[in-house]
Amino acid sequence: MLTPDELQILSTSLGVAGRAVLFSLPVAIAFAWALSRPRFPGKSVVDTIAHLPLVLPPVLVGYLLLLGLGAQSPIGGWLKSSFGVQLAFTAEGAAIATAVMAFPLMVRAIRLSFEATDPGLFEAASVLRAGPWDRFWSMTLPLAWPGVLAGAVTAFAAGLGEFGAVITFASNVEGETQTLPLAINAALNTPGRDDVAFRLALISLAAAITGLVLAEMLQRWARRRLEA
Amino acid sequence: MTLELREVVVRRGAFRLAADLEVAADGVTVVFGPSGSGKSSLLATIAGLSRLEAGSLSLHGHLLEDTRKAVRVPAHARGIGLVFQDARLFPHLTVRGNLEYAEHRRPAARNAPIVIEIARRLEFEDLLDRPVRNLSGGERSRIALARAIVSAPELLLLDEPFAALDGRRRRDFLALLRELSNEQSLPMVVVTHSIDDAAELANDVIAMRGGRVIACGAAAAVMSRPEFAGLLDRRDLGARLPAAAVAGGAVEGVWVRADSVLLASERPRGISARHVWEGRVDAITREDARGVLVSLATEAGYVLSRITPEALADLQLEQGKQAWAVVKAHAL
Repeated sequence: MLTPDELQILSTSLGVAGRAVLFSLPVAIAFAWALSRPRFPGKSVVDTIAHLPLVLPPVLVGYLLLLGLGAQSPIGGWLKSSFGVQLAFTAEGAAIATAVMAFPLMVRAIRLSFEATDPGLFEAASVLRAGPWDRFWSMTLPLAWPGVLAGAVTAFAAGLGEFGAVITFASNVEGETQTLPLAINAALNTPGRDDVAFRLALISLAAAITGLVLAEMLQRWARRRLEA
Repeated sequence: MTLELREVVVRRGAFRLAADLEVAADGVTVVFGPSGSGKSSLLATIAGLSRLEAGSLSLHGHLLEDTRKAVRVPAHARGIGLVFQDARLFPHLTVRGNLEYAEHRRPAARNAPIVIEIARRLEFEDLLDRPVRNLSGGERSRIALARAIVSAPELLLLDEPFAALDGRRRRDFLALLRELSNEQSLPMVVVTHSIDDAAELANDVIAMRGGRVIACGAAAAVMSRPEFAGLLDRRDLGARLPAAAVAGGAVEGVWVRADSVLLASERPRGISARHVWEGRVDAITREDARGVLVSLATEAGYVLSRITPEALADLQLEQGKQAWAVVKAHAL
């Protein structure tokens, strides 16, 4: 059904999006938790940082990553000399660029889930001797778990389609950073490869729809669970 | 175990709670007052869920909160349990999971019944592996109580624990609370606005109105104070008798409503009423054109009766005169 080339592109895409979700999930949970707190100094700063990728042009995000983590930058240089890790122009770099772009989506879904939880339940837990850290693991996360999952799935589906930030930071390296949208773009720019672009577009569409449906199902499950 | 609140002020939105009290907190202490009087706020404050704006709070000589000394023991470290009116069972856990949540966090040194034992006792054994969705109100109350008992707190607070129960179940639950309190040597503070529950349960009473504590101390003393009568509906006016006076058994006392007491100027004979107490008229208070409250000092204690002005005239009752109070057993 799929050609070896298409399989390669799909697996690159899935790998990049999957790693992007893994990278951003813990950070997104921390941000979402902080933003679901009633009020604290610096909340608007945290809020702005969490939403920034939503309004910045993706190319700019890629460029900023290049400036911050590229081989010429202090951090990029240090990573390369100390660990031999290069981010720019690699699959890891593509995953980081994707993670940054998908971050606001994930924070939003998780935060809504945190905010939908009845605060009375946390009071009930604390009079049963559960401290704040205990409550986070035994109440906050399990109660919000479906929302966290839905956020991850949405971010994953969106990550499959990330273009601007990836091509700027990780470039279009076949078998390494060439994800679906990058491959579609390459095919469109090559005369006579319109049918290749079309097939890739169909694959991309199917993946995106599957992700959205899955996320919606998870969100519905979440609501049912919290309605007890 | 002494519970002490000194010059406590708590603000929750527009509501202000001011409390200064000291109760023995052995057995059952009832917090009584009309709705909106601050009963639930008082419990939340003791449990550590509401922060003091001023004052200090200590349990058994152990300081839990003091605004001047900047001391505040958080709720989870107080060892004070709280059964909420709305049960607040954890929706992501089964019934058993809810009880085990409490069990796993109980300090090893504290004794408490095991999960299966308390479930059998409170008659929800067959629900243990069910999710907490779709349980009835009564089931939720019992599970919430069991969860708190399993946690083995040093003091247990209960907010209207009978709200979801009626009739027989309510009486059973009341008796069970007293039993558990005795067996586990677990002092309880119970919020209620039912005068019957208050009289049956209370060793001590904290009477509240409009965010203030208006009286506090032994049930017999507090419930006979004139300001306590001010908390009651006209229909509920009456007097507390110790359980011994009516062979009450498992209860501490009973509330005898003025409307359920007949007066006689001679010793009644050949009547069905089970309780006939001889006494002397202590006070006569005219309420309005239709009612007169007569307080009788009897061998069982003070009894209050509401009679019509005509009846007062017929019986020729006056202060110091001998009279008999008659109460049907079923009115208690």
